[in-house]
Amino acid sequence: MQSSRRILLRLRAPTETLLSRMLSSSPSYGGGGGGVAVKQVTRGNLADALEELRARVRDAAFVGIDLEMSGVTSAPWRDTFEFDRADVRYLKLRDSAERFAALQLGVCPFRWDPAKSSFVAHPHNFFIFPHNELLNDCSSHEFLCQTTSIDFLANYQFDFNTCFREGIYYLSRTQEEEALQKLYKLHHNDISAYPNTCEEEEDTPLKSAADILFTERMKIKFNEWRNSIVGNQRVDGHGSENIKFADQFQTVFFKMRPAVMLDGFTSHQLNLIRQVLRKRFRDLVYVCTFCEDGLSEKRVVYTDTNDDKILLMKDVREDLLKSREARVKSAVGIRHVIDLLASERKLIVGHSCFLDILQVHSKFVGPLPSSMEEFALSINKVFPHIADTRHLLSVNEAIQYRMRKKSKSLSSAFSLLCPELHAPDEKSFTLSPVKIEVESDETVLSCFTSGAKHEAGYDAFMTGCVFVQLCDYLGIKFEHLSPLENLATNINLKKHINLLAPCWNSGTVVDLSTGTERPHPGYKRRYPVTVYDNVVLIWGFQSKVRPKDIKDCICKVFGPASLTSVFPIDSTSVLVQFSKRESVDDFMDLKATLDCTDSAISALHPLSTILEGGQTRAAKYDTYRDICGSSVSKFSFADQAEAVCSTSNAEFKSKESNAADGYGAYESALDGTVPSTVEQAEGTKSGSKNQGENDFSLQDILDALQDGKELSGKRMRNA
Amino acid sequence: MAAATRAAATAAGARQVTRRNFAEALRDLAAHVEACDYVAIAAQKTGAPTGWRRALPVDTPETAYLKAKLAAESFQPLHFAVCPFRIDDAAPSSSTLVAYPYNFHLFPRDELQLGMPSYSFSCQSSYLSSMAHRGFDFNMCIYDGISYLSRVQESLARQNIFIPHIRQLSPSPSTSIADSVFVSRIKSGIDYWQKGLKKTSKKADGSLVSTLRELILGGETYGSRPNIRIDVCSDRQVQLVLEAVNHISDDLVPLVVPDKAGAARSVRVIFTSSMEDKNHLLMDIKRSEDEHNLKFRGFREVIDLLSTSQKPIISYSCLNDFTMIHSKFVAPLPPNLHEFMCSLRMVFSNIIDISHMWREIGPLRKAKNIQAALSYIQRQYFVPMDVEVPQQDGNNSVTKSGENVLRIMKLFAKLSNLLKISPNGQSHYGEKCHTVEEYSYIFYPDCKAEESEDAKCSNESETTRPVRTDNVVFLWGFRETSVKELRSRLASLHHAFSKDFELKLLDKSCSALIFNSSDTAIELLRAINSQSPSLNNFFSEGLKAAGFDVYRKICRLGLWDSDLAEALECVSSESSTTMLSGNGTDEIYWNTSLMLDLNEYLEC
Repeated sequence: MQSSRRILLRLRAPTETLLSRMLSSSPSYGGGGGGVAVKQVTRGNLADALEELRARVRDAAFVGIDLEMSGVTSAPWRDTFEFDRADVRYLKLRDSAERFAALQLGVCPFRWDPAKSSFVAHPHNFFIFPHNELLNDCSSHEFLCQTTSIDFLANYQFDFNTCFREGIYYLSRTQEEEALQKLYKLHHNDISAYPNTCEEEEDTPLKSAADILFTERMKIKFNEWRNSIVGNQRVDGHGSENIKFADQFQTVFFKMRPAVMLDGFTSHQLNLIRQVLRKRFRDLVYVCTFCEDGLSEKRVVYTDTNDDKILLMKDVREDLLKSREARVKSAVGIRHVIDLLASERKLIVGHSCFLDILQVHSKFVGPLPSSMEEFALSINKVFPHIADTRHLLSVNEAIQYRMRKKSKSLSSAFSLLCPELHAPDEKSFTLSPVKIEVESDETVLSCFTSGAKHEAGYDAFMTGCVFVQLCDYLGIKFEHLSPLENLATNINLKKHINLLAPCWNSGTVVDLSTGTERPHPGYKRRYPVTVYDNVVLIWGFQSKVRPKDIKDCICKVFGPASLTSVFPIDSTSVLVQFSKRESVDDFMDLKATLDCTDSAISALHPLSTILEGGQTRAAKYDTYRDICGSSVSKFSFADQAEAVCSTSNAEFKSKESNAADGYGAYESALDGTVPSTVEQAEGTKSGSKNQGENDFSLQDILDALQDGKELSGKRMRNA
Repeated sequence: MAAATRAAATAAGARQVTRRNFAEALRDLAAHVEACDYVAIAAQKTGAPTGWRRALPVDTPETAYLKAKLAAESFQPLHFAVCPFRIDDAAPSSSTLVAYPYNFHLFPRDELQLGMPSYSFSCQSSYLSSMAHRGFDFNMCIYDGISYLSRVQESLARQNIFIPHIRQLSPSPSTSIADSVFVSRIKSGIDYWQKGLKKTSKKADGSLVSTLRELILGGETYGSRPNIRIDVCSDRQVQLVLEAVNHISDDLVPLVVPDKAGAARSVRVIFTSSMEDKNHLLMDIKRSEDEHNLKFRGFREVIDLLSTSQKPIISYSCLNDFTMIHSKFVAPLPPNLHEFMCSLRMVFSNIIDISHMWREIGPLRKAKNIQAALSYIQRQYFVPMDVEVPQQDGNNSVTKSGENVLRIMKLFAKLSNLLKISPNGQSHYGEKCHTVEEYSYIFYPDCKAEESEDAKCSNESETTRPVRTDNVVFLWGFRETSVKELRSRLASLHHAFSKDFELKLLDKSCSALIFNSSDTAIELLRAINSQSPSLNNFFSEGLKAAGFDVYRKICRLGLWDSDLAEALECVSSESSTTMLSGNGTDEIYWNTSLMLDLNEYLEC
């Protein structure tokens, strides 16, 4: 998924509207929906769909899933690189899962039907929208969109309107717990503080004549209403004495007691009413209840005795608690689907799904832990069996042979392994060994649309189909599968379960049951294996300096064999790997020394190419990890690094000391020998942290403005 | 509410512009801007800062700017309403507002595959949700929104993307022998090709023969016109080829074709059959250049148009809108307010914050938003006004910014009537009028997170008093508590708290104390820094405090990601020694929505 999302495909003209997708099921459409009916689930039909899905998942042999996100990388340098250390890679992926929103969840249960000897699939497509009025925490309401990803989704006719209008809310397990706890605490406080609450409330001063008049009027009206109730217990609102007031309160009943609805008052007026009741009417109680749609209803209720009053208040409080609990439950929303999958402990199948799983954890389980091991243990408790079809593609030689020179993307695997589903009209293909049917047995077809590529529901379906065919290659015979047997424990499949590649270019596989990461034997590396102790991170040099220039000038100083490789991070930052570990410290020392001297000699030094501009910084690999793990988000790596380092306390102090040390080492640096007294030079020259905030220099900006001005001048003259 | 529905009704007349009809809409807009006196603008973004990241009453203009900068950089405008209008007051009793509203849908699509204009942007789900609720068409916006590049981005893009263009012949210095050999070789080559062309045009060949000839002669067709490609390897050679072509005939049009790095790779010489045909070709080239420019600039053409028209621009939350406009369409925002103002002045000479105008009318000062102000005027003053929207569009999609722009315009018209403002400083009856320039460039940062739709005026006390930043102390480390509780708790902790001070919660983790004299505040901070024993209780409660400098520093460093308390903690712990240096005190306008007279920031 990831790799295909990365590339901007423009297979379909953007002119095609959503409607045409819904009406047409032509397979020529960007890889083809093949007329597969996908159930679309939004806020409106979630409850029904959930009930149906519950049964389907229970019967399923496995469940295919897929997720569509609002983006993948928050900045170019956050892309995962082959040379990333495992912990850095995890931090980058974690950043992605935390920042971007999940917009669609595809769930497709596959049931084995022995009678037909085929699989029956039920693709579901859930629209998600991360909005929840329950949570008052603002930060959780903000999410990032990557422009290319959104544009990519738009090219596949993703329906943003449905997503934002009808998308299903969710609460993660952690959020739900917090919300419930808060609620019980609130309830508890209410009860313990009960007898005094009324008296403690502050009086609203009657500021204007209007307020006073309104208060008096209310006094009269409530008095009359109360008298009418006390006077004759048979109150039906038609008593002859009520007729003289046209706007007499209508008596309704609330919990078997006479009451008055308070409609059409402003909050200020309601406050005044409460004040009147408090002061004048001990037997009238102001009650505020919440309806299901979140609107509040205010009533004034008559109570016979003080005990009755207490009873009523208790009743109301309990109702309130129940309704709030119900609101929290309903706010759980789409997470019910995840809970369902987790509780059934079915095999979950995804394609290149590590990021999807991270997203699921961060959105529906809880905040992502800080290391891969903890994450693996945590997700393993939720989903004990996960299979990744992309990984399965690389474990069997027969499949590898068929997939040679082909992209490992989902659609390419799908078209190869399930040709009759991919393009049903073309008969030239050999049939796949295992039959798959799609069932849409509902009489109401309104919520079904024909699936299309990069719609989560259809992708989940494709993943499942690919998985079924791959199982056949692995020698799993579904005919012999008993309905009760867990597919995940099948002897042929077991050794491939819970193994996932964290990203397409990591060259490693993570075992989710243990949290360990090991190299994948089939992966062809572009770069030599990195020794992270030998790596120096350099950033903030001028963008005209190419990685090759850096290599050249470091080689001039440290010798031609001193460098193993130079990895560009972005245009103003690189990771340099030395062949010897000592060179790292030597380089840092030399750089610190050159930073402190401001003479012709330092300008002539070979390293001056890198140091030009005075913004160049260097640090060890661990700093790179810290920068990647930071919650700060800047577009360029240099800005990010500055922002992270300026806030980190230790950095700040080491800068001061470095400056002093640097001067001590000054003499020896000019002799060409490398000083050994300076311990570490992670820091940078102090006092220039605030610059480099912008990608462009002031001159650029002024030039551009000048252009604009000339332009305006020209237009004026023309006019 | 009546005002709102009417605004909605007129907003339906606004012209909806996407990338499909952008070019024609731009032409029409240019004419309308020319014919009008003012332009109202309003933008709809994907979110606004929350918590302490929005403008607070303790903000100085500088920190308010930094917060607006953050918002401008993280959120994305999806919708931009532009409405040129004029007020026809032929009769003194009633005037007519003639408006031409345009609703532009924007999306920062990477049209040029250069990672511009924006790699990613933030969204606030509550914002999107309410937009969706009001019927905003996200599909239209994302599928067909107009892209753009800022001026700085355009100049960067032009360093990366090159198209064939006509280059002017520059007077060449003395030519060497090698040069003249080259020129004569080119000349004879072109001559030969031209002759071949003229010959073949007489007899009709089969298509195969003509294709073969093209292959042999190296000619291709540019559109329907025959041409020849001459490879060059330097700028000097380009000059020489142009010279040679110039010498041969007027019918030939040389087009310089650059490679990916922008260096000239070849010159394409196009043969035109007549003078008329040549003009046609030149126009074609011009048109394709214009299209290309449109692709580069996109929606920014509108901003440039407003900029060059020099019409007064009326807006509501100016600081937010114009930091957004500056960062998306002009250049990245400079690090401080002064540079921003200088830069903005060069783009727009005349910007009017409508909320500054309504604050000129005493009783309106309390109005919290446009609607409140509008409904107050409706109730209290008699300003008859007809709204005329000459262009109609069948599209009925109503957007918030579309409504807002009409409200801004209406409010401006009424206010300018009340304040006796006219475009040229003269009314029709020779009375002396104010010019709108008097209100220009005074901004009010929006203190509220979201503007509520209710049209009530606030009941809050309206004591605006300038407070020196010296008097402000930030306090955090208290657990969730109310202002009243906190105040009573503080009183027992230190004698400084027995003096009179104001206390206001800034977010759930931090509050601001405003002392009446700076001595008390400084004394308190000094005691805290020296960890004086008199504050033992204060510390043991877990309370922390810092002066305004720390706050200024977090804004400058951009530590926006955490709670205010976290950020204050982070900065104050690292530099407690330098805290009392007190470099420069500013005034803030406490207890009111703050005002920035940005003209002040231009004087130095």
